[in-house]
Amino acid sequence: MRVLGTKRAMEKIVNDFVVNVATANGTGSQSSNLIILHSMFEMGVPVSGKNLFPSNISGLPTWFIIRASDRGYQAPGDGTNIQILMNKDTWIKDLEGLEPGTIVVYNEDVKMPVERDDCVLLGMPMTKMARKINPKLGRLIANMYYVGAVAHLLGVEEDAIEKAVKAQFKGKEKAVELNIQAISEGREYANENWDFDCQFSVESRDKDPDTFLIEGNEAIALGSIYGGISMLSWYPITPSSSLAESVINWLPELRSDGDGGSTCAVIQAEDELAAAGMVLGAGWAGGRGMTCTSGPGISLMSEFIGLFYFSEVPGVIWDVNRVGPSTGLPTRTQQGDLSMLYEASHGDTQHIVLIPGTVDECFEFGWRVFDYAERFQTMVFGFNDLDLGMNRWKTSGFTYPDSPMDRGKVVRSQEEMDSMPEYGRYRDVDGDGIAYRTLPGSGLDPILYRGTGHDEDGIYSEDPQVYHDAMARLKRKIDGARDHLPAPVIREEEKKDLGVIFYGSMENTIVEIDDMLEESGLSVSTCRVRALPLHSGVEDFVRRHDRTIVLEINRDGQLFGIIRKEFPAELIPKIHSVSYSDGMPPRARVYSDMILEVLEGL
Amino acid sequence: MLKLNVLELEKSEYTGGKSSLCPGCGHDQISNNIIQAAWENGIHPEKIAKMSGIGCSSKTPAYFLGKSHGFNTVHGRMPSVTTGANVVNKSLSFLAVSGDGDTASIGIGQFVHAIRRNLDMVYIVENNGVYGLTKGQYSATVEKGSKKKKGVANQQAPIDLCAMAINLGCSFVARSFSGSKKQLTALIRAAMSHRGMAFIDVISPCVTFANNDESYKSYNYVKANDEVLHILDYIPHFSPIEEVEVPEGEYQEVSLFDGSTLRLETLAADHDYTDAVSALSAIHQSEKAERHVTGLLYYDDNVPTATDTLGLSETPLVELTEDLLRPSPDSLEKVNSGFRS
Repeated sequence: MRVLGTKRAMEKIVNDFVVNVATANGTGSQSSNLIILHSMFEMGVPVSGKNLFPSNISGLPTWFIIRASDRGYQAPGDGTNIQILMNKDTWIKDLEGLEPGTIVVYNEDVKMPVERDDCVLLGMPMTKMARKINPKLGRLIANMYYVGAVAHLLGVEEDAIEKAVKAQFKGKEKAVELNIQAISEGREYANENWDFDCQFSVESRDKDPDTFLIEGNEAIALGSIYGGISMLSWYPITPSSSLAESVINWLPELRSDGDGGSTCAVIQAEDELAAAGMVLGAGWAGGRGMTCTSGPGISLMSEFIGLFYFSEVPGVIWDVNRVGPSTGLPTRTQQGDLSMLYEASHGDTQHIVLIPGTVDECFEFGWRVFDYAERFQTMVFGFNDLDLGMNRWKTSGFTYPDSPMDRGKVVRSQEEMDSMPEYGRYRDVDGDGIAYRTLPGSGLDPILYRGTGHDEDGIYSEDPQVYHDAMARLKRKIDGARDHLPAPVIREEEKKDLGVIFYGSMENTIVEIDDMLEESGLSVSTCRVRALPLHSGVEDFVRRHDRTIVLEINRDGQLFGIIRKEFPAELIPKIHSVSYSDGMPPRARVYSDMILEVLEGL
Repeated sequence: MLKLNVLELEKSEYTGGKSSLCPGCGHDQISNNIIQAAWENGIHPEKIAKMSGIGCSSKTPAYFLGKSHGFNTVHGRMPSVTTGANVVNKSLSFLAVSGDGDTASIGIGQFVHAIRRNLDMVYIVENNGVYGLTKGQYSATVEKGSKKKKGVANQQAPIDLCAMAINLGCSFVARSFSGSKKQLTALIRAAMSHRGMAFIDVISPCVTFANNDESYKSYNYVKANDEVLHILDYIPHFSPIEEVEVPEGEYQEVSLFDGSTLRLETLAADHDYTDAVSALSAIHQSEKAERHVTGLLYYDDNVPTATDTLGLSETPLVELTEDLLRPSPDSLEKVNSGFRS
């Protein structure tokens, strides 16, 4: 059954809509979706894309959400304006969930009922048309017809489409030709057969020629390469594998020594325990070791993480957070690992955690993290999540490191050693909790590193006072890092009604949440935390505001828990938690409603 | 006058702290052999990195080579720490000590993968068949029917680490006994001259929990059931004639990476150390006879090491300066413009 939409005269809505594409995993639809995304981006339309994919190679449903917003909103949005239906398995449910008036573009050849008289129903025989062009690749090419349909409905320029297709199939001329033909046919079909004037449209904006879209994981990978990474060990796990694979892809171009040798070793480890052990070994020997993983991997690395902390060896671990515990929802996003990272391992520990909120910060923290690790002689976490890590976000290009590498306190020669009469591997001669170290091979004051108790000279000791003092110094060392770490990003209103503290990928939704809250008359300041332990600026922000909300993508309010534990007791009554997690990237309405609810209850 | 080695160093330059193991522990004898081997081979102590996991054996790096850096890591994970250190500084000589619990149980995964990568290291397992620090539980290398001082005889089949290593393509596999000073020192010296994974399984009686005669790893049992494959002489590259006792009868010479030679005076005529099947056969036959075969079991000098296969810079990565570790500003501009087009 094919139902034609009716022509209606409506006010045009420009650059403000959500397109949802429902397909099955492994059908090649990702290329089509990225072509839609990139073609709009080419036109200068502020656009963002979210890939909601299953933990599966092929066959299970996947959705891609494209949002255009002149206001710069990047969250998935609260509804769908244009729904593309390609997937038989989710067809009925997808259709049922739509708001009245939604435009539905569907593949007629799926032969599923389309019973929504209150929606605009636009069918196209996508598979049949695709088979005519290429019988073998029909199933894949069918996806290009909805690109044509969307281009027709929204008025996406042909040049922009062509550019996006060429970028998608770089160097594969046949594929470019074939896909452009399919898209054009889709556009023509829609033009000839659909008697419908779409109220949504795209309009070119002045595109900053410097901007491009990139995944957070690739930005971190590049950052680490510019940070002088000398060893990457990794064990495959979604959603962090693409970080390691990006490092591998970029190394030949960026990190060759000129004689064909690589200046960074890459080892696919046998498991996450080994990956962490390799980072420890690399850091101990004087290299810049890194691994990347997700929550389950952090759990496995935990014993080593304690050894990093206690033996004071630099290293870097990136956690690209997915929904846990256990396998959880491995392809969905969450900020559920934060408290685990902060206190990972057994006994008293505390770790530095860097939390980027943009792809620019992914790059920046990607190189800076090594400086922190070597400066503070400890394992430093980078905390990313699937949303920021695996979706594409806008940047104007990455900025070159503004300071030389900080290799920390390392005694490298006998002369230096001789000038330090009080040298001991764990002796705090500078009063900042950070002792000096020497490297294997140097012959300078060698010790046996160990997880067992040790005194200031690194000699085995179970003396109660020695242990107590060592742990007190470690506390002082990490505490001392607070104000050296990236300061919070604060956007402050004059009227200090409400402060919202948040972190990481919530950055991409906060503007929209802020706008929604301000619609209700509130004056909202925001404070984006970028590192643990918390910078003193966060406490100051709380002091300046009447009420503070800590906004998070997890169930229990993990940052709220850290704040409650660490901030002075008198501040706690004015700090409140709003946290919510369902695996989806944050939708602004969900969080703004929850914030309003909490405020009403006060 | 004190005796000096080729570097004109006294043996005391290679010793370590006082052992806190039980008096008479086989491990202390192995430590002495390590000291002897490193000294005789004339290795700069600071160029050695001592690695270990957790257990009685893994404590011993505190008792030898006090001038070398070392890392007493976590239980069963020494190989991964060694891997990380090795790939960033391949100029270090890694000397690792582990135990049968540390390697054959909790650490068997890392042991296997270190061999697969042919990590350039000497890997010594001090094998006594029991967990000492936790008071004498059986480990996975104890033979079926073997009995420790207290409790029932072991009922499970043992893991033979040498057979496993050979199956995995390990480039140097040997077994010895902590009480065989000459054989063990020669094997450690040869292992130090090898490039790649040199694995030595050393039977080392636990005097506290399993030195009774019903224990297959007791001093008396091993002494009575040691099936010696060959008499070994190590001939260092820097002094080809020193220490050589020309053996009567047949002998074979194994040329090692650093130019040194291991001379095998063949006792067991049918053993071929270049043939994995022959080596495995020797192991399984002696196991069947409830004996311990010792000597150089298997050797292959044609296996690329971990750092070879990674295609790394000639210079150890830790020695690279910032201009090689951090790509230029121009390169970042190129990266950015690549994304823009």
